[in-house]
Amino acid sequence: MIRSLVEKMEQVSQANGGGQVARVKVRIGALANISASHFREHFEIETKGTIAEGSELEIEECGEFSHPQAGHILLESVELETDG
Amino acid sequence: MKKKTSKKTKPKKKSPDRRQAATKVIKVDYLARVEGEGALYLKYKKDQVEEVRLKIFEPPRFFEAFMQGRDFSEAPDITARICGICPVAYQMSAVHAMENALGVQIPEHIRLLRRLLYCGEWIESHVLHIYMLHAPDFLGVPDVMTMAKTHKKEVERGLRQKKRGNQIVRVLGGREIHPINVKIGGFYHLPSAEEFAQLKEELKKGREEAWETLKFASRLEYPDFERQVEFVSLLHDSDYPMNEGRIASTTDLNIAMQEYEDHFEEEHIAYSHALMSRRKGRGSYLVGPMARFNLNYDRLSSVAQEGARDVGLAPICLNPFRSLLVRAVEVLYAFDEAVRVLESLSGSLAPSVPVVVDKSCRGSWATEAPRGLLYHRYELNVDGTIRTAQIIPPTSQNQRTIEEDLRELVMANPKWSDEKMRHRCEQAIRNYDPCISCATHFLKIKKEQVEE
Repeated sequence: MIRSLVEKMEQVSQANGGGQVARVKVRIGALANISASHFREHFEIETKGTIAEGSELEIEECGEFSHPQAGHILLESVELETDG
Repeated sequence: MKKKTSKKTKPKKKSPDRRQAATKVIKVDYLARVEGEGALYLKYKKDQVEEVRLKIFEPPRFFEAFMQGRDFSEAPDITARICGICPVAYQMSAVHAMENALGVQIPEHIRLLRRLLYCGEWIESHVLHIYMLHAPDFLGVPDVMTMAKTHKKEVERGLRQKKRGNQIVRVLGGREIHPINVKIGGFYHLPSAEEFAQLKEELKKGREEAWETLKFASRLEYPDFERQVEFVSLLHDSDYPMNEGRIASTTDLNIAMQEYEDHFEEEHIAYSHALMSRRKGRGSYLVGPMARFNLNYDRLSSVAQEGARDVGLAPICLNPFRSLLVRAVEVLYAFDEAVRVLESLSGSLAPSVPVVVDKSCRGSWATEAPRGLLYHRYELNVDGTIRTAQIIPPTSQNQRTIEEDLRELVMANPKWSDEKMRHRCEQAIRNYDPCISCATHFLKIKKEQVEE
């Protein structure tokens, strides 16, 4: 799951002129079956050697299980380093 | 006051270099995908269904291959990664198979603590299955999010009970998913008496609430469908089976675990990625909660037997849809057993026994994962590295039975609409709680009409 997020970040980076990921914002649904701490641990392992290595990770845990995306992990935004 | 529904965790501080770099924010809104997919192929001749094939597509993960050459002590942590819902089952089969290879005898308190850990996994896995995956099928809603609109209390209860299961795994296993405290010979360290005491109080509350789960499950409407199949599970002398026993069936089987491969075989089916097991010289069989229940009813605690009686569940249960009810009985049992184990612990306990590798050896073992019998076999080199590994999960053992259930269902109802067919087949697949459950909410059905 995190690898697919990394793939998505790579696509986003390429589509926006490249660059390392500085900050990532994700939202974990109430029924996504993963805790923030566990997600963070996997994120740090899986992003090693990728454009997201060392990036800041902001996690929002949504406690509302009637939310339409309660069962999912949503990559809300990525912040890319630019030359400018 | 507005109810708080979400919380944020602070990101790590940026390195100074990064903080100085210019950045731009891109909004993405990308949902992480779930791996695995199921498809059902139906071949029709006029109005009659001629052929039914369940196809499972999942990427190969090569766990058995990449364990080769690794140290034997790594097996519990590596195999735990096979599943995020039942990592304990993989750890338990792995540690016991290694101990079988190395001739390790574990003391009674380690045996009990392994049961406690397994109770945690049964609770979290069964509760997840009952409330989040299967109940929506019975209530005619697409998912648990929709179910929460009309059954908020039930969903809240499910989350609460699942947390209690996770709590056992966290306290004893070191963390709630993919636990890290299990080793060959026992545990790396044991929780304090205070941690055990807090856990016991929480599990007593869980045992009370487990009755509500059972009542909820008993109010669901179960399709009228029965099939006579061979049920296979562990059979222990005195206890409801988890980590020990002989492998038995409702027909004629009663063998040592090490004889598993003499009686069962896996075959590769051209149309599916998942291997399919069979009884040698026969055919399909069923593992899982219904098999355990049907073979071990008299080994359930009196509380769990009372629960089963209350909801009119007596062995032998032949309706696979009612496996949800059996799971609810096993949830009650697991809470009851976990409290019993915690009440039986006393004094200073050694976390493990020493393990020595001084010769090449081979061992195998099976334990009862929430979804059913899970078999592991390992061959070790003299230096303790793994020469070969063989892992046979419950899903591959049940795949043939799932397909047969589907065949019987659709052949008896060839005129069902596509929507009805998809709904009932998805529900039937989830009776078995296979690891593709999450992915088969949208089972693809392909119909082909052939000429006579």
